[in-house]
Amino acid sequence: MRSAKTREHKWRYQPVEDHWDEASWHARFPRRHWRQLMVSLGRMGFDQLSRRWRAGQQVIQTNGITYNVYGDPQGKERPWSMDPIPLVMDEREWSGIERAIGQRATLLNAILGDLYGPRNLIHQRSLPAALLFANPNFLRACSGIVPPQGLYLHSYAADLGRSPDGTWWVISDRTQAPSGVGYALENRLVSARTLPSVFNQCRVRQLNRFFDEHRDSLMAMAPNHRTTPRVVLLTPGPHNETYFEHSFLARHWGFPLVEGADLAVRDNRVFLKTLAGLEPVDMILRRMDDNFCDPLELRGDSLLGIPGLVQAVRSGNVAIANSLGSGLMESGAHMAFLPALSRQLLGEELQMPSVATWWCGDTGPRKHVLEDLENVVIKPAFPRAGQRVEFPATMSKAEREELAKRIEAAPEQFVAQEQVALSTAPVRTDHGLAARHVVLRVFAAWNGSGYSVMPGGLTRVSTEPRSLVVSMQLGGGSKDTWVLTSAEEHHASRAGQLQITEPRSPGELPSRVADNLFWLGRYAERVEAGVRLVRSLLPALSSEEDFGRAATLETIVHLLSGMGYLPAEALDVSIAQQRWQTERLLGNMVYDPTRSAGIGWNLKQVRRATWPLKERLSQDTWRVLQQLDRDFSSSTPATSEQRLVVAMNLLDHAIVTLSAFGGLLMENTTRGYGWRFLDIGRRLERALQMTEMLKVGVAQGPFENEPYLDLLLQIADSSITYRTRYLTALRTEYVLELLLADETNPRSVAFQLLTLLDHVENLPWQAVDTDMPLEVEIAARILEAVRMAQCEDLATRDAAGNMGELEELLGRIKTDLCDLSDALTARYLSHLTISRLTSV
Amino acid sequence: MLYQATHTTRYLYDEPVSQCLSEARVTPRVFPGQVLHQMRLHVEPEPATLERRKDYFGNDVNTFAVFRMHDKFSATAISVVEVARRPVEDAAEVVAPGLSWETARDLLAEHADADTLPAYEFVFDSPFVAAAPELADYAKPTFAKGRPLVDAVSELSHRIYKEFDYEPKSTSIEMPLLEVLENRRGVCQDFAHVMIGALRSLRLSARYISGYLKSGTTYQGADASHAWVSVFIPGAGWLDFDPTNDCRPTEGHITLGWGRDYGDVTPVKGIALGGGKQIVEVAVRVDPLLASDQA
Repeated sequence: MRSAKTREHKWRYQPVEDHWDEASWHARFPRRHWRQLMVSLGRMGFDQLSRRWRAGQQVIQTNGITYNVYGDPQGKERPWSMDPIPLVMDEREWSGIERAIGQRATLLNAILGDLYGPRNLIHQRSLPAALLFANPNFLRACSGIVPPQGLYLHSYAADLGRSPDGTWWVISDRTQAPSGVGYALENRLVSARTLPSVFNQCRVRQLNRFFDEHRDSLMAMAPNHRTTPRVVLLTPGPHNETYFEHSFLARHWGFPLVEGADLAVRDNRVFLKTLAGLEPVDMILRRMDDNFCDPLELRGDSLLGIPGLVQAVRSGNVAIANSLGSGLMESGAHMAFLPALSRQLLGEELQMPSVATWWCGDTGPRKHVLEDLENVVIKPAFPRAGQRVEFPATMSKAEREELAKRIEAAPEQFVAQEQVALSTAPVRTDHGLAARHVVLRVFAAWNGSGYSVMPGGLTRVSTEPRSLVVSMQLGGGSKDTWVLTSAEEHHASRAGQLQITEPRSPGELPSRVADNLFWLGRYAERVEAGVRLVRSLLPALSSEEDFGRAATLETIVHLLSGMGYLPAEALDVSIAQQRWQTERLLGNMVYDPTRSAGIGWNLKQVRRATWPLKERLSQDTWRVLQQLDRDFSSSTPATSEQRLVVAMNLLDHAIVTLSAFGGLLMENTTRGYGWRFLDIGRRLERALQMTEMLKVGVAQGPFENEPYLDLLLQIADSSITYRTRYLTALRTEYVLELLLADETNPRSVAFQLLTLLDHVENLPWQAVDTDMPLEVEIAARILEAVRMAQCEDLATRDAAGNMGELEELLGRIKTDLCDLSDALTARYLSHLTISRLTSV
Repeated sequence: MLYQATHTTRYLYDEPVSQCLSEARVTPRVFPGQVLHQMRLHVEPEPATLERRKDYFGNDVNTFAVFRMHDKFSATAISVVEVARRPVEDAAEVVAPGLSWETARDLLAEHADADTLPAYEFVFDSPFVAAAPELADYAKPTFAKGRPLVDAVSELSHRIYKEFDYEPKSTSIEMPLLEVLENRRGVCQDFAHVMIGALRSLRLSARYISGYLKSGTTYQGADASHAWVSVFIPGAGWLDFDPTNDCRPTEGHITLGWGRDYGDVTPVKGIALGGGKQIVEVAVRVDPLLASDQA
């Protein structure tokens, strides 16, 4: 009885008064196009909806859908926030929006063509000259450049709001590098997975065709008319707020995701820097603000872009979507002029109004704004980072006067807008349904002959019931947008699937990506080495006494100080202190991510290296990495006893997860250059780690070295092999044979060297050079040295009791491995830093 | 007056540079009052490409790319240029007495004719020079109500000359405009920026001129590239003022080009791959040439 009541209570939905509600026209009655959804949800029940929502959150987390927040002290990305109840749009109403948005994109494109070309609109005074001259997004370097087919806007987005009378208004235009389509598609994938039956019952229009058309038209617009033009997606990098979307779209469309440093301009042509040399690029889909795209001709204070890009565009050798300079139309100041411009340029009435906007650069509107300041919001006319919206209604008289003074001093810098009383829609909260204000972002893309509008959109909702501020930056949420259809749609074959497209030829791997893979391999191996080391040492510490051949405390301390984990004088203190020190060190290695040799720290480096590889790693690989990350970011247990027990568990678990990671990389990565660089990183690191351990544990170990040998075999996971092979007590030369010289033991130094040699021989060095490359020479040289050595001789002590020959060999291996790394870097991964000549 | 100007820019790098892309605006501009007879640009090491184009403001730009390893780099521009009295000087004399600065400001706001519209572009902020209340305050005592524009601008130029210290080493890194105003010291670029900023703060139109000074005079700013200001006088045209030398540029000033501020007409700039620390040296030599010397 009681629970039924609660359920009913939770389903109760109370729209906000004096606002249009998307879902219902009266507190109790859903609108016609919402009925099917409401009925389906009602049958499902609130608790079930909540469960589905949690499942959706899980999908978001495992797919790694994130949104970076600027200025977040953690510097971390935030999971994408999505409400399970979609925004439903009526078919007829949608076709009106579709036409209006297509018209607006056409209009804005025409205005751009005029302002970067003949400027008739200025000469005829259809647009004030100040709107052009004072706009920092007017890129003078791009004036006079006509893009292929006169197309400045390949894609366009608008934020729409609905006023209480039901009218849709354009709140803002996005013409620079509109973001959100990728998130909208992800929202669809999540909602179709969490509410499959409801989704099917509702007959929702599919999004795929829009994406396919967009991709096809990008390829068709590439100049030079090559049969398979190369399109790249240019991102400012992993720290950008919508990086997730960049990598998602690159993957979806099969375009390489590149940063400025991956591209180079030669002879006014743009090239992708790959392992095998320079590969021509025909079209750049940019997600970088245009000002940053060319440090030579555009913004002088940034080195993000590609020097010489503007000249390449000017020469007509590369196309950019959207064209450089298109950010010009993001100024709200244009809005007031659009109705007249639509009549003048298109011969049509503007189909959807913009929010009432007054540009203060005009005398009449300025007077009106200054007289009516309390009833408008003031925005910068030319959006710039750091500038915010001001609300005179909430200001003191003095503040308002100060604002009026600022407006009068530079009137063209300000616009005033009426604040739309945004419509509301139901969202799920823990206390039941609640009304939130919504802003709908809709997207248009050029399809070859006109603009297609995506049948859906990115609906964003306010955090607070009363707040009209809708911003993902400020923590708002999002919704999927369902456009209903009565027509039977032929679903494209790729319905919602992700395809990971491999590079066209193996050599096409961008050098920067190879570099990332190399370091991913190295850090992943360091994590594993750390886990294995700590896991082998911990049991000895937690046991009360030495049992069997378990390593003694002294062995452990010697090993740790030899490898640089503990200071050299660690052995000079009392046993109790040594134990305490070691315990603390091992604990820190597990729990303290700020400790530079610790597991957590190396994991952080793994994470840093994988970030830019996001679109290249499979979802499973990504999930495993996130699992590792979660494991090691759990809090430190309170007591030291617990710490050790929990740590053992954690480490056992981590070994399995790491094996899964290694397995996924081996099994899911094609044997291209990318895989080779990843494996080179691993092998190099493993060889270095093993060399170091042999040096400290064997070459520099004491005469009675059995505990050391035992420990080394444990760390190298080779104890069982030793026992089955040698059936004898631990002997130095046998251990050396197994861990140094045995080419069949995947943990031995020789095994790593053999693999390294195979890799470096098979890299595309012939593309650049015909001489035998240095790295091949080095790899062959070390392997030869190891093969020539006799383990019996190596294990022999000289008069002073040292294994001089072994120490010398290990030292040489280490130096050679470092040289090998340098040679590889110089040939394939060289990243000279770009610098600016002092301007004089 | 006929001159030969030699302008050398030399970079020495700490670490080798594998490639370098550079833009030079070192070709004297042709306009009523200045004729260019000859211009040669020599770049070392030899560039793989060398191109010429006109920029947004109509200045000549030479773009060149070097793709071989190098640790020093130099660009030498040698030009033969003839400078004469500019027609705008006469025109200004005619309109000057009757044109108040407020009228000029209002005519710009109207920008009703074909000359004023392009000039109107220079009323607005640019990356290095933005209008500010501090700059308006600095200009105010000079711009009394109804005062003739040319008269007021001359005084502004004179005041900057008197009230600011010329310190050649004071701005090796670019100092923000308001800091220059506050410290009252800088080099010719800074003085030009202050003057442009003050004029823009009154919504007048002013542009930045990059150029050379005749060698061997008492001028400050010779031996390097120089900068001064041009102000739009409605009805007459662009009239030049040199606040660094308290003069109206005449036959001793050679104009390379103009833009909204230094950033638009930087004589030499570039991007290098590698390089590390760099030392840069600039030398400018402008000597009179007899017409018969001309090659």
